[in-house]
Amino acid sequence: MAESNKPQWNEDGQLEVLTFDVGEERLAVEAVMIREILDLLPETKVPGAPDLVGSIVNFRGKIIPIADLRVAFGMAIEPSTPDSRIVVIETELDGEQTHIGLRTDKVHEVALLNQRDAADTPAVGLRWRRDYARGLVRRPDGVIVLPDLPQIFQSAQRGGDRMGLAY
Amino acid sequence: MSASILTVDDSSSVRVATRIALTGAGYSVTEAVDGMDGLNKARAAKFDMILTDLNMPNMDGLSMIREIRKLGNQAGTPIIFLTTESDDAMKQAAKAAGATGWLVKPFVPDQLLKIARKVLGR
Amino acid sequence: MSGDDPIAAFRVEAGDLLEGLEQALLDLSHQLDNRGLIDAVFRGLHTLKGSGAMFGFDALATFTHHCESAFDRVRKGLTPATPELVSVILSAMDHMRALVEGDGAGLEATGDAILERLHAAMGDAPVAAATVAVAVVAAADGAVVADSAKAQGWKLFFRLPPGAMANGTNPLILLDELRDLGEAQVVAVLDDLPNLPDLVPTDCMIGWQVELRGDISREDIEDVFIFVMDDMELRLEPLECTEEAPVIAQTQAVPDQPVTVATNDAAATAKNATPRNSESVRVPAERLDILMDRVGELVIVQSRLSQLANSGVEGAAGELALRSISEEIERLASELRDTMMVLRMVPVASLFNRFRRLVHDLSRETGKTIELVTEGESTEVDKTVTEQLADPIVHLIRNSCDHGLETAEERLQVGKPAAGQVKLSAQHAGGEVLITISDDGRGIDRTRVRAKAEANGLIQPGQVMTDYELLQLIFHPGFSTAAQITNLSGRGVGMDVVKRTIEGLRGSIDVASEQGKGSTITLRIPLTLAIIEGLLVRVGDGRYVIPLAAVEECIELPVSEDLRMRGRSMIQLRDALVPFLRLREVFNTGTEPDQFQKIVVISTGGERVGLVVDQIIGSHQTVIKSMSSLHREIGSFSGATILGDGGVALILDVMHLVAFGQQREARLRAVG
Repeated sequence: MAESNKPQWNEDGQLEVLTFDVGEERLAVEAVMIREILDLLPETKVPGAPDLVGSIVNFRGKIIPIADLRVAFGMAIEPSTPDSRIVVIETELDGEQTHIGLRTDKVHEVALLNQRDAADTPAVGLRWRRDYARGLVRRPDGVIVLPDLPQIFQSAQRGGDRMGLAY
Repeated sequence: MSASILTVDDSSSVRVATRIALTGAGYSVTEAVDGMDGLNKARAAKFDMILTDLNMPNMDGLSMIREIRKLGNQAGTPIIFLTTESDDAMKQAAKAAGATGWLVKPFVPDQLLKIARKVLGR
Repeated sequence: MSGDDPIAAFRVEAGDLLEGLEQALLDLSHQLDNRGLIDAVFRGLHTLKGSGAMFGFDALATFTHHCESAFDRVRKGLTPATPELVSVILSAMDHMRALVEGDGAGLEATGDAILERLHAAMGDAPVAAATVAVAVVAAADGAVVADSAKAQGWKLFFRLPPGAMANGTNPLILLDELRDLGEAQVVAVLDDLPNLPDLVPTDCMIGWQVELRGDISREDIEDVFIFVMDDMELRLEPLECTEEAPVIAQTQAVPDQPVTVATNDAAATAKNATPRNSESVRVPAERLDILMDRVGELVIVQSRLSQLANSGVEGAAGELALRSISEEIERLASELRDTMMVLRMVPVASLFNRFRRLVHDLSRETGKTIELVTEGESTEVDKTVTEQLADPIVHLIRNSCDHGLETAEERLQVGKPAAGQVKLSAQHAGGEVLITISDDGRGIDRTRVRAKAEANGLIQPGQVMTDYELLQLIFHPGFSTAAQITNLSGRGVGMDVVKRTIEGLRGSIDVASEQGKGSTITLRIPLTLAIIEGLLVRVGDGRYVIPLAAVEECIELPVSEDLRMRGRSMIQLRDALVPFLRLREVFNTGTEPDQFQKIVVISTGGERVGLVVDQIIGSHQTVIKSMSSLHREIGSFSGATILGDGGVALILDVMHLVAFGQQREARLRAVG
């Protein structure tokens, strides 16, 4: 895990995050990365794109990719529900500030996580790649995963079908 | 009501200079970039005076003057042409085409205004 | 834009004029008797002289006057246009440029030398130019001719030429003008009035008798009539007979007095020293219209906002309304920003045109016959990018002309046409603009590159390298393969500088070269935004834009034909077989083909491929939006665009698809 990807706990050992559900996992992304929470938008499929970021949308005149983290966490793609939302985040990708829409099944809340509840990602017992998470945080209502989004997107890029064409 | 003047010149600098001089003296100015444009604008609206260059692309000044004189709406509209020609031939040709008078380039704003006053009256 | 400073406007305009002139001259050099071009050159010089003189660029006016006179003679058929004359005028253009930019100080000798060549080319005796001033006709009110014969006043009779009124002369204004000169008594003379049936209402048949009192010169009066003097009737006599004899009858045209205007260096310097105004961009009117539309929408939203502010609507309803307005403003702001960026886009034509002159000059310097072929001049690039590309391309063209192309004899020996070709092309691809400079010369000599690199210690002797790595060596700082440093290359600017400049534009440079066949340098410059004319099509549920520039034709693909073509990958297009791609399959849409499929035939670089689509929706002004790096690597698309309904369409990368279609075809052939 790259140093820079570690959660930036403040001096009180806290981290402000937005929590949301993707499949059966509850994820948290730093509030500073969140740009907007949107209802679902009409998506345009990008043939040949990696499954993780298979479509794009018009986000206020900007074309942004929509990511389905279920792909990264090895879950089956489910149809959207009335609770489904797009969480638009901004992160650095290939040295560029990039907006990405995360498809979520339900957005919960902006919460303060405590560092003392945090644990490193265990080496075993996961259904997904260990380097896709920066850590876990135990909460009364379950475990929250802090996904390593740059890591997830970079491997999607590397794994993508660069030709984008079916042979 | 201020007199309206149509200036026809393919040189934008001359247009700017004439516009500044004429609007500064209270005239209202419409600009055209060549003979064809000038003719179209003359066809569309009545002007109190037309100031035109002779050497222009698309339609030269002489042809434009001839065509404007055929328009009913510009009967008697004074047409002043700009010339740098030192020979009389151009002046004669332009007058034969229906021009009222001329202004020699290069000119200073005062000369232009003097001509405008001369053909438009006080 | 030109704004309100005529001097700045003149500088911009003079730049454009000179550029136009240069193109006309270069064209003229190929067709010396083209009247249209000769007229165009004359007109350009004429305008430059006239405007130059108006705005105090006297040195420019004087200098240009000579060139204009030369072309006036050509225009009138007195002298033929010769290559030498065109060449001299081309060098004159550079001098004119300098005179437009600066005050011309210290340039007199250059100017004189050019004029000497000009006169030689025209077959004249040489004239020391700067000493010849432009003869400018005195303006109508030129207080040039003094008149000693002043009178107490004048008695005058005048009658205008019959057509004067129709031609815009107003006799009442003339009478007013006379009244302005002094106390006047006016009597209309109706003697020559015809009978009513013969009366032409627009002809002025009235004469006027005027007694003018005051210290008025004859010229003052003649000035009043200056525009009609030639063909009017004007009799003038002094009121109180002094020594001057009563004068006389039909005035003749008084020849205009030529006045020599000395070039006033001080004044010229002062005016030309005006600080250069900020640069300007020419913008097609339609783009301003788009901007105007957006501003219009913004005004509407603004009024909605103030309405809301004054309505006192609170709570959820107010919040909702406010949110909707805020979103609207956000959308407009982003569109305004995009439109503004588009305003900065200029076609590369202006850049490319500069190189025609360069190649012309290089052709003369090297003694090689060189043709410059340009393609894709309408491709648009940000203005800053255009400016920064100029120097690298100059260098690359120099390289091609100097090192790449062989002499005519060498070329003929190897069976090539005597004239070498340098090709410059531009196109949009993958959210980038692609500029290629290629020549059909001898290609890069690998042995020479290796030897040179070894000699310079860049590589070990005998080091194993791929051809690609070997070619990359030419971008190494200080590398030069010219065995002999000629006048053209080896000026201290190497390919490394070119590479750095391109990389500074976040671009990349590539070289390909085949020995004996020529070299191609490809520059890829990223575009954040561009507008293309596109063809909007539907494939399955998705909409796609095909750049219209690449579309050759669209043909029907009836179901029966489609079935017949199953398993095949080529279609017969008149006399040629063209590979085709069913985009439905390529994009894996999982949908059934539309009953009325179409084949859109696209081409690039001389190769064609047919794209089978379900439906052609229509043409579409496409604002190219770049995609995130997550999608940029997908070769099939060069970007995306937002459609009128807010949806997104992907823009097809023509180069990629053509290459893919051709490759697949080759592969199938190899297998089959």
